[in-house]
Amino acid sequence: MNGIVPTPIAALPWRVIFILAALVGFGATVLYSAAGGHFEPWAGKHVVRFVVLLAMAIAMSRMKLEFWKSMTFPLYLLLLFLLVVVQLMGFVGGGSQRWINLGIITLQPSELMKPVMVLAAAWFFDRLPPNRIYGFDAIWPLGAILLLPSILVIIQPDFDAAIAYAFGLGVVGFMAGLPLIYFISAGVGVAVLAPLVFFFGLKAYQQDRVLIFLNPENDPLGAGYHITQSKIAIGSGGIFGKGFGNGTQSHLDYLPEGHTDFVFATMAEEWGIVGGFFILFMYYLLMRWGLSVAMQSKTRYGQLVAAGLTCTIFFYIMINLLMVVGLAPVAGIPLPFVSHGGSSMLTMMLCVGIMMSIERHPGAKRGQFQ
Amino acid sequence: MTPQTARTTTRKSGVGTPPFAAHGFWRLLVLLAAFGMFVVLLIGRLATLALFESSRAYGATSTEYVPERGDIVDRNGVPLARSIYGYAIWVKPADLLGDRKQLANQLAAIFPDTPAAEFYAKLTADKPGYLRKRALPEQVKQVHDLGEIAIEFPREATRLYPQHDMAAHVLGFVNRDGRGAMGMERVMNDYLRDPSKRSTPLNLALDVRVQAALESELASGMAATNAKGGAGVILDVATGEVIAMATLPSFNPNRPSFANIPDLGQPIVDGRYPISRQTNNVTNRVYELGSTFKPLTVAAALDAGTVRDLSVRYDATKPLQFGRFKIRDSHPSGRWMNTPEALIHSSNIVTAQIADTLGAARMDAMLRNLHFDVRPDIELAEKARPLYPKSWDRLTNMTVGFGHGIAVTPMHLASAYAAMVNGGIYRPATMFKMKSDAKIPGKRVFTAATSARMRQLMRMIVVDGTGNQADALGYRVGGKTGSAEKPGVGGYSRNLVVSTFASAFPMDNPRYVVLAMLDEPQGTEASSFQRTAGFTAAPVVRKTITRIGPLMGIIPDVKRDVDVSELMPLLWKAKGEQ
Repeated sequence: MNGIVPTPIAALPWRVIFILAALVGFGATVLYSAAGGHFEPWAGKHVVRFVVLLAMAIAMSRMKLEFWKSMTFPLYLLLLFLLVVVQLMGFVGGGSQRWINLGIITLQPSELMKPVMVLAAAWFFDRLPPNRIYGFDAIWPLGAILLLPSILVIIQPDFDAAIAYAFGLGVVGFMAGLPLIYFISAGVGVAVLAPLVFFFGLKAYQQDRVLIFLNPENDPLGAGYHITQSKIAIGSGGIFGKGFGNGTQSHLDYLPEGHTDFVFATMAEEWGIVGGFFILFMYYLLMRWGLSVAMQSKTRYGQLVAAGLTCTIFFYIMINLLMVVGLAPVAGIPLPFVSHGGSSMLTMMLCVGIMMSIERHPGAKRGQFQ
Repeated sequence: MTPQTARTTTRKSGVGTPPFAAHGFWRLLVLLAAFGMFVVLLIGRLATLALFESSRAYGATSTEYVPERGDIVDRNGVPLARSIYGYAIWVKPADLLGDRKQLANQLAAIFPDTPAAEFYAKLTADKPGYLRKRALPEQVKQVHDLGEIAIEFPREATRLYPQHDMAAHVLGFVNRDGRGAMGMERVMNDYLRDPSKRSTPLNLALDVRVQAALESELASGMAATNAKGGAGVILDVATGEVIAMATLPSFNPNRPSFANIPDLGQPIVDGRYPISRQTNNVTNRVYELGSTFKPLTVAAALDAGTVRDLSVRYDATKPLQFGRFKIRDSHPSGRWMNTPEALIHSSNIVTAQIADTLGAARMDAMLRNLHFDVRPDIELAEKARPLYPKSWDRLTNMTVGFGHGIAVTPMHLASAYAAMVNGGIYRPATMFKMKSDAKIPGKRVFTAATSARMRQLMRMIVVDGTGNQADALGYRVGGKTGSAEKPGVGGYSRNLVVSTFASAFPMDNPRYVVLAMLDEPQGTEASSFQRTAGFTAAPVVRKTITRIGPLMGIIPDVKRDVDVSELMPLLWKAKGEQ
């Protein structure tokens, strides 16, 4: 480029790397404070993981888009197989299990399935002749792609993952041009059926559970405790926060999961709403990058995958943030790039790696979004 | 909507390929709009939390119940009362989720001093309330670990008295509403709560080291004589500052409710014990202090000129008959005695005659000058009104002369002794530390010459008389014993006495008045089987002075003393006695 920086380095997708580094760096700062001013046990690992996984993502970006397209279905089948294996291991081990321990890292197939579900849906729509999209031909394969892993994770039980799969598939389907009537009728169906099922199909104790799910503050022993403490943490931070290292809610262990799912509350206590807006702005830049990748891709597969993965990341962000501020039920979904946690970071960096690949290989076909 | 229109058109046209380019882009925008709504929702929520939740987030209960109060320190800045934050345990029964019966049992296991039934009653109450006013952090953690969200742990400002029982009657305590309920906490309540002043500690005249010595010696004296109670006060004669003020048995102001235990054998009036451990015996109880009044009578007589020659002898061979009333000596000497001898041997007969020649009017004036007719001059609110004679007939005057027929507080007596030895100036006692350059208002009660003479006489009482048990070596103690029989049902009881020793030291230049009193001491081996003050209260004073002298910067010196050589020949000695 300018002669000083070698071309292979200058050609790296610096834009997204800076965004991610800002998020991860800020996350590490928060984790450092949450550990009482120590890199152990969270902040250090967080940064190391990011560096390693960034290398992996850059390596992934070298792969051509055709490679991902050809790998999609085998990957899907492999993960389906692993889900069955996990289920069997859990059965043998006598309990619910989601992980396969590979020694170095623990593999969580249900987590990896989230981006792969987007790939699979995009792969399907890419192969589907456009005029068949209104027929039953488009429906049953999609149903199969969604239901097989969903059933396996619901048995685990992990409803959150099943909802994430449905969301990823739905977004890709929506973008690919599935008739709007499907989405409208699905929405109306849920809206009509839910109260009927709630009032006539459920027993009293099941109704209670749903109510608690809808309003976690009614369940102070469980979810409500998290929410109450989280709101106190965010509220006590105010506009500019209590200052780095001065968060009492997190340091005194009032806030549970302050380093994983509720890391945003830990951050907001010390950095205030200003810190919150910084994180939101970084996510905005990330989304903008993801969508621009989708817009610039010349292939249908690339467009759908990039848009779908961006929406998956957005889904994580929104569910986590709405949960932390008490607007969504408590679900074990971490905040991308900020929360401490290997599985989440791995999934997110897989998404980023594939999107980098799409950015690097826009393809030769005529753009279809334009 | 555009995407719909686009699609319908293509379907109707029958063309196989829908224009993905068009509706793909529009659908992306719709998706982004939907996402944007969530973002707006999120930002709005964040802003409301940050702006409005912050005030609620900090425990609003922290200052409501017990407001922050200023510290109280002694004259050297040692803390006597402080405000700290403690945990309370609060329950909102309506929000309880767990089984109340089980919860009550779990709580009772954490707090074994409270029965489970009591917890159960609080857990099933209609209104929120305290499960526990104060709890230790580890107990709070245990309750927290029960996982019941309806139980909260507000941090409340609480009053801590780090010295526990020490000077409890001076300090008092704070009630549940955060108001001072006794002692200086009560008197200085507004000052201690004033936000503009409470940052500076309230500086009392007390010295904890002296207070500790006085309390410990009083306690030993009580134990040695099986006394029911004790009281003592140490006063700076020049300023009126109260250096120590003790009432025993004391109570712990950290837990004042335990002070009202019925251990004093007091009669119950209207279901209450009129005198509890919280009663300040120095300022809030009146006693007939007996012989300790004799020096005051003699001083008044010296001032008035009715005793001009100390060698004049008075008849003490037989009890003084006055109408049907007989004044007798407890240890009759059966001879004529002059004034110094009357003080040294504590003769009621002679003092009554001196009082008689002094006259009731002058006696009354002297006692009023010493404020014996009103509540004691001290900042405390717990002050008793003296039983002052309503009419001064001749007999009243004579009995008052040796301390009967009048009941005052020990505080009155200490202030009067201070005036008697400090050159004759009466100054009100104060609980506050005086500035070193402060101008202390005073009123002359005795002439300086009388004061000087009284120092000699009081020193002689200790050197040669009933007070010799109080002679702390080298500290030139002077003082007077007083063993008054307590009035009870059917007249004075000969077996129940209040033993007082009122003293000052060092007598060549008096600095402090030390007064010790024992309530109903018994004759024990330690007191040579005597109940009188010379064997019970006087040793307490000696031991106290031996301990506090060095703390007050008074150097013990056996070679220094007030010059009593001119008076010594007046004392009658048996043949052969030195």
